[in-house]
Amino acid sequence: MTRMESTTNAQQVVRLWLANALALVGEHEEELGRLDAAAGDGDHGTTMVRGLRAANAAVTDAKGSAGELLAQAGAAFSDAAGGASGALVGMWITTIGQRLGDGPYDLPALLEAVQAGTNRVARLGKAQPGDKTVLDALTPFLAALEAQAAAGASLGDGWRAALPAAEQGAAATREMVARRGRSAKLGERSLGHADPGAVSMCYLLRAAADAFDRAGDE
Amino acid sequence: MTRLYNDPADFREELIEGFVAAYGRLVQRVPNASGVMVRAPQPDKVAVIIGGGSGHYPAFCGYVGPGLATAAVMGNIFSAPSAEQVYRVTKAVAGAAGVLYSYGNYSGDVLNFDMAQMRCEDEGMDVRTVLVTDDVASAPRGQEEERRGIAGDFYVFKLAGASAARGDNLDEVERLALKTNARTRSFGVAFAGCTLPGQRAPLFTVDAGQMELGLGVHGEPGISTGEMRPAREVADLLLDTLLADVPEGAGSRVAVMLNGLGSTKYEELFVLYKDVHRRLLAEGLELHDPIVNEMVTSLDMAGCSLSLLWLDDELAPLLDAPCTTPAYTIG
Repeated sequence: MTRMESTTNAQQVVRLWLANALALVGEHEEELGRLDAAAGDGDHGTTMVRGLRAANAAVTDAKGSAGELLAQAGAAFSDAAGGASGALVGMWITTIGQRLGDGPYDLPALLEAVQAGTNRVARLGKAQPGDKTVLDALTPFLAALEAQAAAGASLGDGWRAALPAAEQGAAATREMVARRGRSAKLGERSLGHADPGAVSMCYLLRAAADAFDRAGDE
Repeated sequence: MTRLYNDPADFREELIEGFVAAYGRLVQRVPNASGVMVRAPQPDKVAVIIGGGSGHYPAFCGYVGPGLATAAVMGNIFSAPSAEQVYRVTKAVAGAAGVLYSYGNYSGDVLNFDMAQMRCEDEGMDVRTVLVTDDVASAPRGQEEERRGIAGDFYVFKLAGASAARGDNLDEVERLALKTNARTRSFGVAFAGCTLPGQRAPLFTVDAGQMELGLGVHGEPGISTGEMRPAREVADLLLDTLLADVPEGAGSRVAVMLNGLGSTKYEELFVLYKDVHRRLLAEGLELHDPIVNEMVTSLDMAGCSLSLLWLDDELAPLLDAPCTTPAYTIG
């Protein structure tokens, strides 16, 4: 799809995204838990599922623009998930929603919104790329998305084309030593395992690509 | 091993419900929030709000009551409460005298409490934060503010609560909490890890016959691993570390707390305490009301921590002031 032409369509994409995200993260709940247990308390999968369930519930009957739905979903996610990752991922979703507002919902607008959400996560989490966090998936993703936007790609195609950059970024966290969060205190023990937050973010991004495709088909 | 649960996802909710059912004479559930509060908040006094992940009882809800904390915000097991829950608990107890947040220095807690604090400040409330940073194993001298909070939580909460209860203003409650934290040092030793509800394997392990010095309450690494030793040598290890990290202007009067982490029994703690006590006296220190108990635990983790609060004439009366809470009562 080139862009979400109608308001109804954009709301539908938000609902599809959250439903896809819950399904995809749910499938990988145990994997995320194992990654987290390497240097954390092993509950990242459970936390993400809990947050996404609440986010889905929040938008089921909610009224408002796609931006407003996202803002509500983010708040519900943070509250249900708790912990550092709940606060940060929820803030990311909420910020994207606030930036998108009533639209337009095209690739340049989404790029700007995701950039704003990511900046906010970096500032709140006091992290930088290379610290073995969600930023190691988001930063290369944004660079790839920017290139797609500059080349005039459509929303669905551009987003999907940027996914491998996020996944390579998440995989590269295996070689990193955590410098932020509780796992930072575990230093070297985090080496050899991908950061669970970066991996779960890849599932959220992939779920969005599938939502754009499906909404485009309808 | 955590054996008693229904659906692990409901663990926090069910423990709050049971806790409030058991101690309803002292505390009440915060309506629509994951937290407990005193039965009769006093709006003219500073509200002291503590909190963090669950799994550390008596921290945090066990310290709510007159003379100690006004309320506790409770996260899931080992997971910080959300900013929304901190906000709701704050709204339920905050009065004109303002609010002090106090909790252990962990990034998830800091993030969520800070977000709640910003929201409350935007609404015109006066909210301050004092992080507890007593664990000497988590960062070296000179980087004290980087340290995580462990059993020293109790001392900071107790003195802040006593200051608020006698009617001190927010500046004074904050100052005394900061001072208490600056004069509190803890160091722990672990013999076995803990297992979360619904998990089959422990979160972390300590090899048989070994002990981990300075291991954090969620399995964060400490200073070193060593052979298990007799209790009297463990007492010396703990004290050697704490006495090498005495805060500036400490004086010679200390409150001492030997804290069990969950599955190290009281009898063992007393055996260890005998040598702790003897050594502290031999160092020429004056001991103020020793505590040998479970004060800040880590589910069923085996091990203990030793905390020293270096008292002066200003702090000692606050430690002795009466309080009535589910887990700790004086006077």
